[in-house]
Amino acid sequence: MNAGPNFNSLRAYKARKALKLGATMPRLLQSGAVGFALLAAAIFIMADSDKRHVGFLAIAGALATFMAAVWIRDDLTDLPPEDKTLDGRLSGEVLGRLNPRADMSPQYVWNALVGHWQANFFLNRLLISNEMVTGAFSNDPNDMPAIWQAAMQYADKGGNPEIEVGHVIGALLNNTPGLKPFFAKLRFTPDEIDQVMAWLDRALEAARVEKPFFGGIGRDWSSGFTPVLNRFGHNLSFDIEHGGSQFGSLTKSAGVAALQSSFAQGSGAVALIGADGIGKTSHIYALAQLLLEGKVVPTLKYNQIISLNPSVIISSAQHDGELEQIVLTLLNEATHAGHIILFLDDAQLFFGEGTGSFDMTQILLPVVQSHGVRLILAMEPHDFQRLKTKNPAFANLLSPVTLTEQPESEVMSILEDTALGLEYKRGSMVSYEALCEAYRLSGRYDQEHAYPGKAIQLLEQSLTHGFEGSRMITAQSVQAAVEQARGVKVSSANQVEADALLHLEDAIHERMINQSRAVKVVASALRRARAGVSSTKRPIGSFLFLGPTGVGKTELAKAIAATYFGDEANMIRLDMSEYQQPDDVQRLLSNGEHDASLIVSVRQQPFTVLLLDEIEKAHPNILNLLLQLLDEGELTDSAGRPASFRDCVIIATSNAGASSIREHIERGEELEEFEKEFTDELINSNQFKPELLNRFDEIVLFRPLKPDELAQVVLLMLDGINKTLANQNISVELTPAAIAVIVEKGNDPRLGARPMRRMLQRAVEDGIAGRILRGETQPGDHVVLDAGDLAI
Amino acid sequence: MLAVAFVRWWYGAGWKLVQKNVRKRMERTSASFSIPTLMRTLFAPWKRIITSPGAGLNAYFRAMIDNTVSRFVGFTIRIFVLFAAGICMLAVSVAGVLQIFLWPLMPFLVVACIAKGLMP
Repeated sequence: MNAGPNFNSLRAYKARKALKLGATMPRLLQSGAVGFALLAAAIFIMADSDKRHVGFLAIAGALATFMAAVWIRDDLTDLPPEDKTLDGRLSGEVLGRLNPRADMSPQYVWNALVGHWQANFFLNRLLISNEMVTGAFSNDPNDMPAIWQAAMQYADKGGNPEIEVGHVIGALLNNTPGLKPFFAKLRFTPDEIDQVMAWLDRALEAARVEKPFFGGIGRDWSSGFTPVLNRFGHNLSFDIEHGGSQFGSLTKSAGVAALQSSFAQGSGAVALIGADGIGKTSHIYALAQLLLEGKVVPTLKYNQIISLNPSVIISSAQHDGELEQIVLTLLNEATHAGHIILFLDDAQLFFGEGTGSFDMTQILLPVVQSHGVRLILAMEPHDFQRLKTKNPAFANLLSPVTLTEQPESEVMSILEDTALGLEYKRGSMVSYEALCEAYRLSGRYDQEHAYPGKAIQLLEQSLTHGFEGSRMITAQSVQAAVEQARGVKVSSANQVEADALLHLEDAIHERMINQSRAVKVVASALRRARAGVSSTKRPIGSFLFLGPTGVGKTELAKAIAATYFGDEANMIRLDMSEYQQPDDVQRLLSNGEHDASLIVSVRQQPFTVLLLDEIEKAHPNILNLLLQLLDEGELTDSAGRPASFRDCVIIATSNAGASSIREHIERGEELEEFEKEFTDELINSNQFKPELLNRFDEIVLFRPLKPDELAQVVLLMLDGINKTLANQNISVELTPAAIAVIVEKGNDPRLGARPMRRMLQRAVEDGIAGRILRGETQPGDHVVLDAGDLAI
Repeated sequence: MLAVAFVRWWYGAGWKLVQKNVRKRMERTSASFSIPTLMRTLFAPWKRIITSPGAGLNAYFRAMIDNTVSRFVGFTIRIFVLFAAGICMLAVSVAGVLQIFLWPLMPFLVVACIAKGLMP
């Protein structure tokens, strides 16, 4: 077994010298060489002939400094790997920092390397500092051989011929037993260190790759001018050529290969099909880069891709027929130029679908049939299906290339590469946990778009939520971005919120009288969700509220919206008696092109109470849909895109069995005693199917209110009246006798608390209104109403 | 140790590196002038400016003359660029060959220059 590298080798010696001389030394020496050369020239021109020999000393100086500069730059500083042994593969950056006379313990190696940028890359991505970990490394040199081997394995895994500082740092972090409890506390896994290692390896590889060459001065001299295309189109190849290439890895993707192969096999038009966010435009950019690099079949070499924007074309047409004329000119120009591939992004807009669109199928058809110009039409799967239905002749001429969503590992790699670009542009530092969180939360809260686009978009949004105002982007930054953009709560509950959650029942009871069992089960479900205990694959909670009318079912739903979701308005309320026809399913699932629907409402307001009133009246098809909703926490719209209900509390209400509940209560039974029997009754009487009842988290029975509870309801309603009157600085109080009269007059066991509202209107509001109008009550007055004062 | 390392590199990996760099420079010069493309399209019309022949003999001859002019313009520009490319390639090659031959002599030149400088 190789015990460790030889730090007394010539290679190690050179590395130490290079580090000591520094990066600026070669430049200084080169400047010195130029100086000596100029001095020599001056001496030979200006000095007397007997002194010109001094000029040779200056030449010697110029040559010597030049040779030294070249040697330091190309040999000492740039130490290529010599062989596949540990000695031969350790980079100059590692060798130069380690003193051969020191005890080569993990602690020493860590301290020697920790200032290097690759070490900082690790620390910043993992959100740890040197102070947090430095004490955990051992001082035993015998522990190092295993770490050197681990570093070599990291380099092998990353396809890196050198063992760089990052590999040694990664190996130290992952092979130090003392760090394991620390990492466990931070919820790190060895896999995460491996992922950051792979991220660093890709960054190092990108730095090693030479800038591609995109042809020379005469590349386009045999291609035609494209003045009209330049005006209406956007040259993606130009972007690649002048903005640098950022699509290196994507040029090797299956999608780009399929595009290339379609054109190479003679196809004139390709339909690039993929969901929004899947990277259609990125694939086209990658293809543009490949074409410019000339790494394609000769017929495609140096072809340029120009993207056309329909809105620019439409806005330029001033009169009838001009639009067609412009499109024809564009196509003719592209055909004549001979090296143009036209890219129609959102191609459905060119076929009369959607806002700002026009139909140019008839113009494109002969062009595609004759293979006059190469076309790429990018669209979403449902748009391609629509095109096939509407215009099969045209659709059949297109060679379809379908992009499918990439696996998580690929998406994470794309995110990592994108993060480096964003960091450069925005001056931020993105941690690895932020990337994981961007992947997770975009998957959960953005179901209209595909990966990697949605994760990248979320990451971009989170750049404005730097950790405690710093440049560091953490998981909390991503959570804050989601909370701001979607209005959902994704971060862990803070202390204030945790207290509120622990006392949720009290908060709900401030506006709800009794129904303690109902309030308790609902509050428990909300606590489970916020503590992260409940399943994230289903809604936060789903409840079936059963009971007579006017006992607080809707009021409890409103109370949840107000206390948990922050506002009573955070409630989507559907009266299911309006959904009694089979076709009504479509009304719920419409994707919002023509009218608003449940799906659209939930996408706009994902963190909400969904109240389904009178559920028993809905058509059985709707109830079947509800099964899926309760099971999977999502529904799929008419265009095939899912919508998440996983941040909703779903409450269905029903009056079914109300008389039975009343009878049980009148017999003196408690709700818990007859819940099971009651549920069986509902199933046996075919009012609800067992599969539906089983899918609710809880079936909550509401019992009729007793007179003393109705009195409390009256007081709550009086609070509401007082809040309204507060604008006029008037307050009203009812004596116990007055309350008793109102309860007595308004009590109707069939209608629960509902009549109390009307009774208060008549007894209190009407009376107060009359007093104000007659001038008997002035601002600042406190009115006490007794039984005799009520206007009943 | 340092001097030995320098000599070993100068006459080993260093000299090979010089040769590699010279070859790269020549390739880059050739690519910058698009020499293979220009050779392949030497007689192609300039920027595809061509006239389609209309009906009649006159139109046919006019189109032929127009297209010949376009090809001539293309040929002239390309041949000038190829000529310039040839000069540059020659310069790069000569400089490269000189560099390759002078490289091993350079340490001796230093010694020689010092000797010459110290002896009037």
